[in-house]
Amino acid sequence: MIRRKKILIYAAVAALTLAPIAVVSVRAQLDRAHELGKRIKCSCGGCEQTAGTCYHVGGEFSGPCGIAKQMIKEIQGHLDKGLADDQVIDLMIKEYGTAAYVEPPKKGFGLVAWLMPGVYLLVGAVVVIFVMSRWRKRAEVAEAVAARQKPVSAEALERARALAQKATEE
Amino acid sequence: MDVFGSFALLLAFVCALYALVGGIAAIATRHPLLIKSTRQAGMAACVLIFLATFSVVYLFVTDSFSISYVVSHSNRDLATFFKVVALWSGQEGSLLFWCFLLSIYIFSVLIAYRNKHGELMPYVGTILAGVQLFFLTISNFVTSPFKLLAVANASGALEYYTRPDGSGLNPVLQYPEMIIHPPNLYSGYTGFTIPFAFALAALLARYPGEKWIHLTRKWTMIAWCFQTVGILLGAHWAYAVLGWGGYWGWDPVENASFLPWLTGTAFLHSVMMQEKRGMMKVWNVWLVFITFMLCILGTLLTRSGVVSSVHAFAQSNIGSWFVGFLAVTLAVCLFAYFKNRDYLKSENQLDSIVSRESSFLFNNLVLLVACIAILSGTLFPVFSEWFTGNRISVGTPFFNKVNVPLGLLLLFLTGVGPLLAWRKTSAESLKRNFLWPTIAGVVGAVIVIALGARDFYAIVCFLLSTFVAATIAVEYYRGAKVIRVRSNLNWLSSAVELTLRNTRRYGGYIVHVGIVMIFVGLAGQAFNQEVQKEIGIGGTAKIGPYELLLQALDQKQEKNYVAERMIVEVMKDHKPVMILFPERRNFPTNQESGTMVAIYSTLREDLYVVYAGVNQGSEVPTIHVFLNPLVKWVWYGGIVVVMGTIVALVTPRHAVLVLSGAKEQTQAKGLRTTLPSSVTVREGHD
Repeated sequence: MIRRKKILIYAAVAALTLAPIAVVSVRAQLDRAHELGKRIKCSCGGCEQTAGTCYHVGGEFSGPCGIAKQMIKEIQGHLDKGLADDQVIDLMIKEYGTAAYVEPPKKGFGLVAWLMPGVYLLVGAVVVIFVMSRWRKRAEVAEAVAARQKPVSAEALERARALAQKATEE
Repeated sequence: MDVFGSFALLLAFVCALYALVGGIAAIATRHPLLIKSTRQAGMAACVLIFLATFSVVYLFVTDSFSISYVVSHSNRDLATFFKVVALWSGQEGSLLFWCFLLSIYIFSVLIAYRNKHGELMPYVGTILAGVQLFFLTISNFVTSPFKLLAVANASGALEYYTRPDGSGLNPVLQYPEMIIHPPNLYSGYTGFTIPFAFALAALLARYPGEKWIHLTRKWTMIAWCFQTVGILLGAHWAYAVLGWGGYWGWDPVENASFLPWLTGTAFLHSVMMQEKRGMMKVWNVWLVFITFMLCILGTLLTRSGVVSSVHAFAQSNIGSWFVGFLAVTLAVCLFAYFKNRDYLKSENQLDSIVSRESSFLFNNLVLLVACIAILSGTLFPVFSEWFTGNRISVGTPFFNKVNVPLGLLLLFLTGVGPLLAWRKTSAESLKRNFLWPTIAGVVGAVIVIALGARDFYAIVCFLLSTFVAATIAVEYYRGAKVIRVRSNLNWLSSAVELTLRNTRRYGGYIVHVGIVMIFVGLAGQAFNQEVQKEIGIGGTAKIGPYELLLQALDQKQEKNYVAERMIVEVMKDHKPVMILFPERRNFPTNQESGTMVAIYSTLREDLYVVYAGVNQGSEVPTIHVFLNPLVKWVWYGGIVVVMGTIVALVTPRHAVLVLSGAKEQTQAKGLRTTLPSSVTVREGHD
């Protein structure tokens, strides 16, 4: 009898001790679903927000809107089944289509979106460097031509200075 | 009034048509009377557009619910100033408003240059008339704001009727920023028409020299300034109204407004190459053309529904008109370029790789790459649908990953460019100019790391911001020192005098200070925190150093809506700071709801509180709190940018030399020879 009582007391203490951990764990799961929601676009059609941040204009409330809430609920469902983050995202994309991507996937045609800015910068830089070297060559030619010309004599320079002085005296 | 307004609009169309057709004839014949009459027709069109616009405002203010547009965007209980601004709350009115703002620019140009530049102005007037005619065609025949409410009766004839009340204004537009955000943005968009018209006219007329650049510099800066303010006000509106805790979401319409800003900024820099060195003539002309076309593309993106956007209220099927106009504009630009491209020939030479010219080339490269990257990202969903059949969306994370490095590169060039001399910069000069700013940058980075920053981009941003601020400070110090030595003024007066003597250069520096402040604000995003929780009365939520206590919930009945409010006491370090009232507003007229975010804003951080709803099951209210550091720097940075632009627009004061004990001020002759040997005179950023 005493033993059973002891077991019950231990169980109660354990339950009380573990309860906050369980609550924290549920909270963490909810936060994780919310965070994952930020990797999926809300399909409400009224905004460009993610399911985790949707507050779309004219929505039923200031957000997350009903559809975003539903999506987060679905994410939660997938997480409850023990799926990893990327698996959850893949499942959500399967369900909502490629329009639910927040950023293009780094595979297939989506890779083009990621490569394009780098290509622009590279091509632009090549063009700028080419243009600069061309302009530099022209300047070098002009400098060489100027160097070949007969230098101005000190007398001529003095005469020009005197003329300039006279012209600007007012 | 609707008949008067629609007649004025129709007459404006006729006048603009005459200004275009007559203008072409005037260019061909050079007949003075024809030139004069087309100019006057252009001005008459502007006046008629003003009248038509005021008619629409009058119809709103007098609750004319026989007009379809008024019914859709107003109601009797709407505050009068919102009735006035309802003019630009929808498709028809916003296009008329566009026309109105364009007319202000056109009227000003036609008046200001009526007796000047006789060779150029007929071309300018004709091009402006062409642009105006396009918008008048839309406003008259496609989306008229004067359309009456009508239903077809049994015999098929239309019966006109009047509604007792309107459907009301979209709740998200009932906010102070909406009064000034669209006018500013539209003033930016329409303002770029003026440099476009002058550039195209100069090319067509083979107008000699760089005159068109000098003529349009101020117009370009005004348009650029309006565009900047418009973009920032739009960001502030998104921040204060939409309730998602941020101010820039890379929405397609936000992107559309940013594109011409980027090319306009590139033009404002590269134009100096043409003014100083006669270089990049082709590039500058095309930058102006592209900026104008991007303005039209922005309108197309906003209204066509090609891409989904938060600005869905403005969407319609008029996109094809804009596509057509874009095609015609491009064709005209290409024709003018290929016909007269020899006019743009210049002997481009680069004396040194390390020079101001190089920095401008790279500045233009980064701005253009950012522009194309944003444009292709915005249109990527459309491209992906064309190529794969699936629409792959592109959101904020993509744009941030692509543009943050580009932005930082641009910030670096903002600091480097002004320190490089035109033509050639010596190693000695490099060392002298860069030493202190570099040390300041490193110190800035060390400080933010010591304060706990770990985000790589944020650290780099603080490093570069300090570097750029230090370069500007050093420039001001050197310039002010010279004036102080010569005139016995104090440091502040010397700095003011310095600015007034070269408004363009130092106005530019002030703009750069504003841009640095904006970057500091953007870097703050790396430290954002948020908490969302259900909170009963008496409950608390904690975020950073703040504790929020929900004191009560109440209702506030306003004329046009009912507000449900949270009364939240904010405490910092256990001391009460203030009471915030985040609201949820219900608008009975159009059965819509909206939020009113409560923000406690300081230079250090924003405490951003949203009443996020009531849990349907437990009936417990939910609060969503964000702690956003340094957001205020973005808004203050915007103000500094505007101030800098205004300074740059002011005519510079001539340098005067005040001699100690002298009774009269004397023109500063030979200033350089009298300077102390420690002072170096170098060409600056103007």
